[in-house]
Amino acid sequence: MERCPHPNCFADDNTTCTLGHIKLESCPEWRGISQAAAIPPSDSSEMLLPWSGLAMGEHDLAFISGRVKPITIGIVGPESAGKTTILGAFYLLLGRGGLTSDEASFSSSYTLAGWEAVATCLRWKPGQSPHFPPHTPSRAARAPGMLHLGFRRQDGSLRDVVFADAPGEWFQKWAINEQAADAEGARWIARHADVTLLIADRQALAGPKMGTARNNFQLLAQRAVAESHGRRLALVWTKGDVEVAPAMEAQIKSALATKASSVPEFTVSVYPRGELDPAEGFRELFNWILSTKRAAVNLPMTEASGHDPLFRFGRR
Amino acid sequence: MTAQHTILLVGESNVGKTHYGAQFLKRLMVKACSLKMSGAPTNLEAFSTALSCLTEGKATDHTPASTYVESVWPIADDLGRVAELVWPDYGGEQVRNLVTQRRIPAAWRERVLVATDWVLLIRLHSLRSEDDLFSRPLESFAGAEGVEESAVYEPSDQARTIELLQMLLYLAQFHLDRPLNKPRLTILLSCWDELGTTDLPANLLASRLPMLWSFVRSNWMAPTVMGLSALERALSKTDTDQDYAIRGPEEFGYVVLSDGTQSPDITLPVQRLMASEL
Repeated sequence: MERCPHPNCFADDNTTCTLGHIKLESCPEWRGISQAAAIPPSDSSEMLLPWSGLAMGEHDLAFISGRVKPITIGIVGPESAGKTTILGAFYLLLGRGGLTSDEASFSSSYTLAGWEAVATCLRWKPGQSPHFPPHTPSRAARAPGMLHLGFRRQDGSLRDVVFADAPGEWFQKWAINEQAADAEGARWIARHADVTLLIADRQALAGPKMGTARNNFQLLAQRAVAESHGRRLALVWTKGDVEVAPAMEAQIKSALATKASSVPEFTVSVYPRGELDPAEGFRELFNWILSTKRAAVNLPMTEASGHDPLFRFGRR
Repeated sequence: MTAQHTILLVGESNVGKTHYGAQFLKRLMVKACSLKMSGAPTNLEAFSTALSCLTEGKATDHTPASTYVESVWPIADDLGRVAELVWPDYGGEQVRNLVTQRRIPAAWRERVLVATDWVLLIRLHSLRSEDDLFSRPLESFAGAEGVEESAVYEPSDQARTIELLQMLLYLAQFHLDRPLNKPRLTILLSCWDELGTTDLPANLLASRLPMLWSFVRSNWMAPTVMGLSALERALSKTDTDQDYAIRGPEEFGYVVLSDGTQSPDITLPVQRLMASEL
């Protein structure tokens, strides 16, 4: 199928027209090409849905942002630090009822297929034990793949959360050069994330290249702190079962200490640590994320002469 | 004026839609339930095979995938409320195709738009229970390398059911700003006899499919969960069940109400829907 000339329309990719035309031939944008190419749509009696279920791109976000801007979670860290594993673990816990409560019940997700894709490696399958999710490919994308979850809070209101799953290379380039040409996706996260999870990979920090890992983390932390502009930031230790030298831990913490307020710390691991249930660390982190509130907007108080709020500012 | 209850009966293949329809109809015919037929049904073709199989104590064949037949039954309850019940029968593959192919045939869109009540049939026994690293922790974790990464994977049954409900909600043009009052949702856990449990239906659903239960409770004001055993026992397609042949199929089958009480009147789920205001 031809691609629609509208920049935000992906009608060729099994979703509905972005302008809302159920019949593609009635869309002016689409008619432009279909006249030239004269290809009738496969079956006009079938209706498509506005979401594909896969991870969302920048333009797809409009579909869930219609209600209120979702809370965006940026997961920032070097490659193979366990960013995608965190997401997979969240989804599995949600599927087991481990993340929902009376205060926040699961209400929707328009990226279920995307969630299933990140979680599928962490499941036991016949003849195959769980393994880490494969490397998240870095394409020349301008925005990361986004996974959506909607929750309903006790007062009945909805809260949408979007997790940005970006490849580690983006952040490494971004840490070195803020304006790096191929770090557009990292800049997108820095600009839009309401919550930033800064990942410290304990395995790398205890491994043979621990010096490089420490240096990379310090650079990345510096960048992330500078760009956070007071938005929420947390330090997440991944692979929590690995022992790290106390001096190294202190170095990592001090990389974030420049920030005025203290940065909360979380430790997650997919292995049970002693008596500790692996789910506990993920649950703690998730509850902290879900407690995020966007700073309230203060509407200016004005002396209004009429009752109609429309004329509050206009009338003299 | 006769209220029309159009039931959107949703269930994948092999959950027992046809058996439930046939048993429901049989109960109406012999007047052994709280609902009564107040006229003659329009078209019983869809259930005639199933009815004759059950009379002999045999299970019916799978409904062909492309079939979709609606049968209109005029019914009345004890208080004299009358309604027309539109009962569909179809091959369950259609439901699975909605989710996997993500293309909604125009006919399905209309069905969703006119439906007043949704009844979702789930057969817990046939759902896969998947182990993951939280239910079965690992001692050592294989790295991603060396593992043949297969591009194909099957979404979990739970995710598929949630996606189905989300799609139906979208088609019916409901928005979820507030939990929904209408359409009323009844979840029937079919083939209850296979489960061998004494749990309340809602608790069982909450423990087996917690994410689905959270989704349903978050988006509906008052979802109802009941257990249903349309046949009471497994029947074979070839061998006759003597008890069935002697006593008749209307003597078999039961529902487990939300409070755990068991009743032989399998029309109760629909009677409850009628009793509440349209």
